[in-house]
Amino acid sequence: MGFFENLFGGRRDPSASVAKQRLMMVLVDDRYKLTPETLEQMKVEIAGVLSRYLPAVDAEQIEVKILRGEVNDYLKADIPLKRGQPDVG
Amino acid sequence: MQRSNGEHMGRVITITSGKGGVGKTTTTANLGTALALQGGRVVVVDADIGLRNLDVVMGLENRIVYDLVDVVEGRARLRQALIKDKRLPELCLLPAAQTRDKDAVTREQMIDLTGQLRREFDFVLIDSPAGIENGFRNAIAGADEVIIVTTPEVSAVRDADRIIGLVEAAEKGPPNLVVNRIKPRLVNRGEMLSVEDVLELLAITLIGIVPDDESIVTSTNRGEAAVYDHQSQAGRAFLDVARRLRGEEVPFPVLQEQQGVLERFFGIFGRRRS
Repeated sequence: MGFFENLFGGRRDPSASVAKQRLMMVLVDDRYKLTPETLEQMKVEIAGVLSRYLPAVDAEQIEVKILRGEVNDYLKADIPLKRGQPDVG
Repeated sequence: MQRSNGEHMGRVITITSGKGGVGKTTTTANLGTALALQGGRVVVVDADIGLRNLDVVMGLENRIVYDLVDVVEGRARLRQALIKDKRLPELCLLPAAQTRDKDAVTREQMIDLTGQLRREFDFVLIDSPAGIENGFRNAIAGADEVIIVTTPEVSAVRDADRIIGLVEAAEKGPPNLVVNRIKPRLVNRGEMLSVEDVLELLAITLIGIVPDDESIVTSTNRGEAAVYDHQSQAGRAFLDVARRLRGEEVPFPVLQEQQGVLERFFGIFGRRRS
């Protein structure tokens, strides 16, 4: 969001959708009791498993979220793969 | 409801929320009055031991002789402690003790008490204290059903989610939801969680949408239920909740924006010019 947009009260997200997004994360955290530490641990282990099949998976680059769906909640992980190292293995 | 042995079995319904100040007591008073207006025999029970409130909301504070703890500890018989409503002979209040702490009653005593009340009444409504501690656990101990009240705010919705988990763990069946203090104008502007948002987050059955309504302040000041006030949008919403509780299918009306005096003035002004 640009400085000028902010200045002139322009396109900020409506606060209700911000509230909803925040609540989704909070409720999932409340329900699954995932602390930041256990989440970090999970990332390290995910990176460990994936590294057996893929080159250069960095645990610190992984983003893990739990999203609330209508029937189920979902675990969503974004795992960047480093390019330009085709000679591994 | 009738048991096979012919004994009368009323429904025990606990009204709770987790967070305080979202309208549990107002909901209990209005729902109780509405159910009695619709022909049910109703008792409303204030389970907030130490913070007695349901009596003043219903305008019955001057009639209290005995309270819930007196009954439980055997100083008074149940009939002596029940206070008849000013207008409706089929509506009674069992007040909370004001001078005792919240641990003056046990879960077993609450189950026993609600068991006695359901033989005399069609509906036993229990106004739960806020929080997730003993007071709340006692309030749902004897319940067949639970109604959760929330407002469209992050803190209230979060606490409601906690409570839903606890109610489900206590095997009370899926609770029903009342979304209180909706401001249609803010919702339309995208600045307040909508009922749909709240339902999506909490994923339980909706039983009532109550608009934010200044008439609640007035009726509470006077110790009269809003359901008597035919001008009150909130009052009408509570009458609908009562009908749904009794099994009627009542559609949810689209909420009208409440206009302020200025807007009404400019509204008229604008129309004249066009």
